[in-house]
This record gives sequence, C-alpha cells and structure tokens, in this order.
Amino acid sequence: MKREVVAMLLAGGQGSRLKSLTYDIAKPALPFGGKYRIIDFPLSNCTNSGIQTVGVLTQYQPHRLHHYIGLGTPWDLDQRNGGVTMLPPFAEVRGMRWYEGTANAIYQNIAYLNRYDPELVLVLSGDHIYKMNYQLMIDHHKDNGADVTISVIEVPWEEASRFGIMNTDESFVVREFVEKPEVPESNLASMGVYVFNWQKLKQYLQQDNENSESTHDFGKDVIPLMLEDGAKMVAYPYKGYWKDVGTVDSYWEANMDLLDSTQGLNLHDDAWRIYSSNPQLPPQTVTKTGEIKESLANEGCVIGGSVKRSVLFQSVRISEGAELSECVVMSNVQVGKGAQLHRVIVPPGFHVPDGFRIEKAQEEVMLLTEQQIEEWEGSVS
Amino acid sequence: MNVMAVVDAGVDLAGLEDLTLYRTEASIPFAGRYRLVDFVLSNLVNSEVKAIGIFPSHPLGSLLDHIGKGKSWDLDRKKDGLFFLPPMERNRSRYSVGNFGAIAEHEDFFARSSQSYVAVTNCFTICQLDYSDMLASHLRSGADITEAVKGGQKLRTYLLSKELMMKLLRDFKEKKILSVEDLVRMKKTEYHYSEYEYTGYVGVIDSVQSYFRESMALLDEQRWGTLFLPERPIMTKVKDEPPTQYLADAEVTESFLANGSTVEGAVSCSIIGRAVKIGSGSRLEHCIIMQKSEIAESCKLSYVIADKDVVIGPGVELHGTAEHPIVLRKGQHIMKEEKR
Repeated sequence: MKREVVAMLLAGGQGSRLKSLTYDIAKPALPFGGKYRIIDFPLSNCTNSGIQTVGVLTQYQPHRLHHYIGLGTPWDLDQRNGGVTMLPPFAEVRGMRWYEGTANAIYQNIAYLNRYDPELVLVLSGDHIYKMNYQLMIDHHKDNGADVTISVIEVPWEEASRFGIMNTDESFVVREFVEKPEVPESNLASMGVYVFNWQKLKQYLQQDNENSESTHDFGKDVIPLMLEDGAKMVAYPYKGYWKDVGTVDSYWEANMDLLDSTQGLNLHDDAWRIYSSNPQLPPQTVTKTGEIKESLANEGCVIGGSVKRSVLFQSVRISEGAELSECVVMSNVQVGKGAQLHRVIVPPGFHVPDGFRIEKAQEEVMLLTEQQIEEWEGSVS
Repeated sequence: MNVMAVVDAGVDLAGLEDLTLYRTEASIPFAGRYRLVDFVLSNLVNSEVKAIGIFPSHPLGSLLDHIGKGKSWDLDRKKDGLFFLPPMERNRSRYSVGNFGAIAEHEDFFARSSQSYVAVTNCFTICQLDYSDMLASHLRSGADITEAVKGGQKLRTYLLSKELMMKLLRDFKEKKILSVEDLVRMKKTEYHYSEYEYTGYVGVIDSVQSYFRESMALLDEQRWGTLFLPERPIMTKVKDEPPTQYLADAEVTESFLANGSTVEGAVSCSIIGRAVKIGSGSRLEHCIIMQKSEIAESCKLSYVIADKDVVIGPGVELHGTAEHPIVLRKGQHIMKEEKR
C-alpha cells in the first residue's frame, strides 16, 4: 500500500557519553522527564504530524526498546496498514550484516521502504527532546522543490563548533555542510531531521554503498555527496525547544529545563501530547513530613522528605528527613532517611542508604554509581 | 479460572445523586485517578476472571467512554473478554445487586461463555477480593450460593454455579425474586448458603458522606497500603498526562495527587485528580478535587468536593464540614460574589 511519507527513526545508538545510563539500554530508550523515554518525543511528533508509517532501526541493546514499543499502541501506531515496524539488522542469503552507519541502516531496509512506495522519507533520530510538526517541514520541502530538506536550529555562536553547521544563502538553500567547524560561518545547526525524495535518496544510498571509503553516515558521507552532485538542499528553520541529550550534563540540563514552565517544553499541551506507555500506578503521595517545590513527580511516588527543583520518575520513595535539590531520580529508587543529594542523577532501582552524603564539587552534576554507595557504606560502618 | 462475572453497575444509590447526575455510580471518580468500576474490574482481572459482563444503568455515556473495549484491563480479547450489556427496559428500579430482569435480557452471555461458575458483584463496594480464593471456599462448603463478608459486613458479592444462575433466570418472575441479593436475603429458601470470610480492605460508597469518609481514610498510609497492593494493581483508563508539576510556592502535605496537575498553592489532607490546576495563594484543606477542575488564586476551600471541570474564580472561600462537605457539581463555575 502506498504511503506519501514514511518515517525512518534511527534508534540504534549507544550514547556512550551517557555512561552507565546506557550500559544496558539504547539511548532512545533512556527514561526522561519523570515518565517518558526519549523515543516518545519523535514517535509522538510523528503521530501528531499525521505520519502513521514509521520504521524504527535498532541495533545497540535493542530488547528493551522492542519490548517498550511493542505494537506501537501508546502512540496510536498499531495500524493495519503501516504503523510502527521494528527494523533490527538481519541475516539474508548473502550473509549477516550489522548496520554500518546511519545511511547504511536505511540502505539495508530499502525493501521495507519499497513496500510503501513513498514519495518522501523522513529520517529522524531517537536522541533529541523536542516537539515538532513534521508536516510543516514537509510542506516547506515541497514548496521549495527540494531533493532534501534539513531541519536547522539557531544555536548560540559560541557553541556552533559542537554541531553540524549548514552554510546557506538568504533563501535557506544550503551551500555547504560542515561537521563541527572550528570557525563557524553560520549558527544554523542540523537537528538530525531530514526529508528526502525517496527515489533520489535511494540512488545516493546505492552510490554510497559502493564506495568502500565511505563510513555510510548521513552527515559525513551522504549529505556531502548530494551537495557535490548538485542536489537541491534546503534548510528548514525550526524555532522552539530542542535539546540533544548526548551527555550526562545535557541529560540533567534537559530534565531541569522542564521545571521552568516558560523556557522548557510544555508537556501540558493538549494539542501536542507526548504519548508514552503508562504503568498502572496509584497517585503520588506527599506525607506529613514531605515537602515538594519546583519539581515534577510521577505516579507511585511517596514523598516523605524535602524535594526541591527535582524530577522524580515513577515509584520513587523519599524517606523522612532526606533532602534533595536539583536531582533527577529515576524509577523505583528509594532514598533513605536523612540522605542528602544535590545535583545527582540516581539511576533506576537504586537504594540510597540512610544518611548518605557525597563529597563532590557543589555545582558538578554527578551520576550516582553502585560503587559510590558501597564505598560510602564502607566508610561509615 | 472457571468463573465468569456479572458486574452490576446499575444499583440505585439515593445518597449519591450529586455525583451521579451525569453518570452511573460505577464511573464516579475515586482516589484521584480511578473510577469506582476500576476496583471491581481489577479484582476480577487479578483473579484471572476472563469473561466479564457489565450491566449498567443510564446514563451510559461516561461509563462506556471510560471502559471502552476493556483495553486498560487487558480485556479486549477474541475469546471471552469484556461485554457491555445495557438494559433494554430503561425504567426498571434496581435497589439490590444482581437484578434478574436486567441480567435475563442478556441471557446469551451465559450461553456463549464456557465457565461453570458465576460471580455476581457490584461497583460500590471497593475491596481487593481474590475470586479464586472465594471459589475454593465455595467448592469446599458445597453451598449453592456463597456471599463474601468481612466480620459480619456483607460485601454484596456472590458466587454460584452457572447452572443455578440459568435456572434462576428462568424462574425469577414466577417466584417473585428480584435479584441475587434479594434471593440470599429471603427468609424461606430452598437453597444452601455459605459465607466467604474476606480480610482485606473494604470501603462502601453509597452516599456523599461515605464517599468523603472513605476518600479521606485513604490518606492514612496503612489503609492506603491495604488497597494499593503492588501484586494486585488497580488498573484504569490510560490518559497520557504528564507528571504533576509543583511550582515554587507549592506547599503540599498529607495529600495524594494524580498526574497532569499543576500546584502553585497550599494543599493539605486532600485528594487531587488528574490535570487539576491550583492557583497561587490558594489554600485547600480536606478537599477532593476531580479531573480538570481549576482553582484560581487566593481561594480558601475546606471540606469541598469539586466534581470534574469545576471552575473556581479568584478569592472564593467555601467551607463545608466533615459531615456535610460542599459538593460542587460537574462543570459548575463559582465566582466570588456567589460566596456561600
């Protein structure tokens, strides 16, 4: 059955700079914002943009992600025609092949795309927190008669050298794409969201596949190849909240952004819901000894201590006398009596012992490890 | 399990009128994020009862919207699952549980289900009943009908064989029996009865007073712990609300809150439903605020039950009592000049 647009969501990344947070789950499956996982954002954007055929490409630690997405029901993507399809690497007659780069992952799923005979392919990544109407970008693509449209966001000039930067003319036609330029010529950063004319893309993917020098990556190989070849590439300027949660610090920052209802992402927008799987848990409880301000808390939490500027995932228990500030506390964590945590990310299921404190520079963001808890227990016993 | 269920969601409870103007008692919101029917459905599902018929009364809209095809309880099945069986005769009064007239209209529900026993239950008795344990007790006693009780308190929940149920559905008119409950309460009887002694949480919601009392009783951590058992979760319709947001001036204590709410004011000893807004400088004590209600700035409320979609303007003060909480009906708007 034909589909005008098919989305391909790249969800195979490890996110190694997130350290222990992604040791056993893929980065797109990383919990975020008290109840979500990162992949909820692009998937909800697809649903809210009316895109109902989505291939999810997985590779690194895929099981949790496959189980989480299931039939796609939470995002209304359990559809007879299309819907969500998980696309892990697979074996075929010519042997087994891992995905060797983002472009190669799409190349290996040409058969999946051909089944829908799309006009356009929307390539997304499972690494970013944002709300975006892809339909507006697709309209922009069509209005400009582009072969490829790349969504860009203005980043502060001093940070531009951390991003893939688009150098464009006044009408946003891309002249040049530079990955992490030392001296940036523009501050338009690629958001990793692409719209391709499928027939054009297929042709370049095949060409790229034959090039043994290529790393088969969109940013490094396919986009430069298309530019060189004179394909029409247009930048789509996006305005709004967008955050790459690639490091422990940026993960923490993005969570803190949610506490500021004016700057961060509005999660209360009925017209653009972020869908997620909803565990069946009782309401959150604040007890007689509890206190919570400037924070987000999910269902199943029991708050008996003091919580300030923090994000609590489901079923977190904060005991009496514990004090938390600027923390991200993931699901099923128990914080013991009188424990003190400031700017700490507590991974899922951790038991923080009574009276726990940690020596660190005040303002440094720390990802708590089992080892630190063991060391602390050793030092007090 | 070899039990199918008749959930009577149409018993008339005169004391709950303020909360049942637009819904049956089965869909009255309770404990922040639930409806009364969620508890009985979850009990049945947690007991592995797989064929469940809901026999509601009018108005049906709210309950139908909440339950749908039973997806949230994993009851959208090809074999068995959830059956919504509304009455064809609209004006039948139903004052006891398991009304034969209403059930007999859907007799084919029994014919197409393969289970040998029928549980007959209601929505207004909140508990954590294990129906497989009740069945074991029923089989041990060899009784015709078993009723669940807790220390003399009747849970108005029954277990009988399907064969007997079918027979009763044939004979009830002639014998002038109204319901399963009516049959069990009759002094002269040809049947053998037994009681199943249940020991867990029980809360009966049959008036605004008992609604308020049972809601507030859940603020006690121990009592809460007997209703919300991790191994027997209470399931409800999924809403996709974001986590609850507490702003800088929020002061919340001894309360429970569902997702999607935004709290700027002070809340104590209260129950806050989904997507409620509480403005800055407002102070709530002993209140139950249901889904999507909005309380503006500088309000003072105590002993108030605000049904869904209630809007309270800035500076409003409303004070009820524990015995007579003020009930604001669904969608009601209250502005300052209307001070009570």
